[in-house]
Amino acid sequence: MRRSDEDARLSEQIHADSIVTERVTPDRLYSRLRELRDAGFTMLLDLGGVDYPDRPDRFEVVYHLLKLPLAPAGVYEIARPERRRILVAVGGEKPTLSSIVDLWPAADWAEREVYDLFGVHFQGHPDLRRIQMPDDWEGHPLRRDYPLRGPARDAAPRPNFSLKGNVGANVPATPRTEVRTHE
Amino acid sequence: MSERTTTLPPPRQLDVIEQDDERMLVSMGPQHPSTHGVLQVLLEISGERITKLVPEIGYLHTGIEKSAENLFWNTATTVIERMDYLAPLSNSLCYFLAVERLLGITDRIPERAQQIRVLLAELTRIASHCVWLGTHGIDVGAISAFFYCFDLRERILDLSEAAGGARMHPNYFRVGGLASDLPVGFLDRLDALLKFFPQRMRELRDLLVENPIFRDRTLGVSRLAAKDAVAWGVTGAPLRASGVAYDVRKAFPYSGYEQYTFDVPTRTEGDAYARFLVRLEEMDQSYRICRQVRERLVAGPIAIDDPKLVAPAKQTIAVSMEALIHHFKLVSEGMRVPAGAVYQPVEGPRGELGYYIVSDGGNRPYRVRTRPASMYNLQVLKHLGVGELIADLVVAIGSLDPVFGEVDR
Repeated sequence: MRRSDEDARLSEQIHADSIVTERVTPDRLYSRLRELRDAGFTMLLDLGGVDYPDRPDRFEVVYHLLKLPLAPAGVYEIARPERRRILVAVGGEKPTLSSIVDLWPAADWAEREVYDLFGVHFQGHPDLRRIQMPDDWEGHPLRRDYPLRGPARDAAPRPNFSLKGNVGANVPATPRTEVRTHE
Repeated sequence: MSERTTTLPPPRQLDVIEQDDERMLVSMGPQHPSTHGVLQVLLEISGERITKLVPEIGYLHTGIEKSAENLFWNTATTVIERMDYLAPLSNSLCYFLAVERLLGITDRIPERAQQIRVLLAELTRIASHCVWLGTHGIDVGAISAFFYCFDLRERILDLSEAAGGARMHPNYFRVGGLASDLPVGFLDRLDALLKFFPQRMRELRDLLVENPIFRDRTLGVSRLAAKDAVAWGVTGAPLRASGVAYDVRKAFPYSGYEQYTFDVPTRTEGDAYARFLVRLEEMDQSYRICRQVRERLVAGPIAIDDPKLVAPAKQTIAVSMEALIHHFKLVSEGMRVPAGAVYQPVEGPRGELGYYIVSDGGNRPYRVRTRPASMYNLQVLKHLGVGELIADLVVAIGSLDPVFGEVDR
């Protein structure tokens, strides 16, 4: 259990880099991203999820955008392209965000991955199914409350070596190797 | 309470592909040798032409991001390096740059540590491109190049073994610098390698650049326009082969890259042959950087002087109580990293490799999100493959150079 002041710090989310960060609500997400794309942020670098179980809106999806020209361009034309970060928090029984696959085709697998590993749904995604885990997998492994070794292995009894029960009662103890000394 | 009940949509992979007298369903992979790992591509073909395709990934998912959340900041690198297993040091460099940014010690990394990091990252890039070139050559029927490439790679892995103790996953970088200084004799071996390199590149060029089979198989195949490359999030050599000279080393220099002179090779054709030429040229540029590092290599410390972050030298543990305590605390409980989040990119051999790392102030990462360059590069296959021949799909996959450790993590 984390302490409450750590929760407060987490919810503030200090970024140690200089990327301009915006926080939007789920209903503004699609329109804001479309605005940014039309403003020249032509590449969706990445989108990924983070799980904060103690927050009211549990999941945070992080979008990173990059300003790049759409036509062939040299190093000096590109210079220092701008980056932008969008944070969106989403919670509830069935956390749902709008899909941005029609804005950037690159979002396809990344959204499937967030769905697969966190259970965040993306409305409007053409093919929202699991991508990393098998199709019949239950649960979302990257949630913080998902056990590291998986639910099945977590529930299985572990061998108890302290009882020495794996040595049969009638088996004589292994004789120690004789240590020969110089005569 | 964990939520183990979810409503899954039914597996739809076969629904999107129809079969009739004209069209046939072919499953390529996940054990097909030309898929460079475990990629499955479901193809709907009409004759030899692909009319629809669905790439399926996830066969190599090992939960590395989840594992990293359960390891100390310094020990997480063992799993991090296994993501892109052809370029382990690019991965750990990126991860540690991000952690150092969270700690606020980016400006304090000693000169020598930064130089050695750049040197090994560039050698890793050459070694990674060797694997790509060798296997890509085999895909298109040029087998000899494979042996030349793997010989060169083996020489680089020898250096990696000398520095970090292991060929594939040296775990050589640490928070604040390096695990240890370069061993005695390393620079002589490096000089021998740098002397040998141009000759080997000449041989590789002689084997492939004008090779009629290689050219026939790659020229004009899987052409990617700059506009599409950007929209699909393609970075690295495939993006530069389409004409966009975006390189993280130039755009957002890290670890002192702004001090070195190197070019960003680009082509405008955007086909498999252009990607091949761009990567060959990149190997030469990496060699240029390595030579500059070798000339400028300074003496000095290899890690910052902060016992809370860097384990003290082994010799001091025997004589200093404080050093022993610091060592014990670092090993048994790890360091603490201030709460916050950071996105740190580097130019890996496959493109922009990034880590979005969240810390809650504890001794383990709260979340490690990778921006997997090869996942985004591979995804463009959905756009490239339709309308191509099956044989050209093999070329397309090879020229995108995916590494499935990174795609699936």
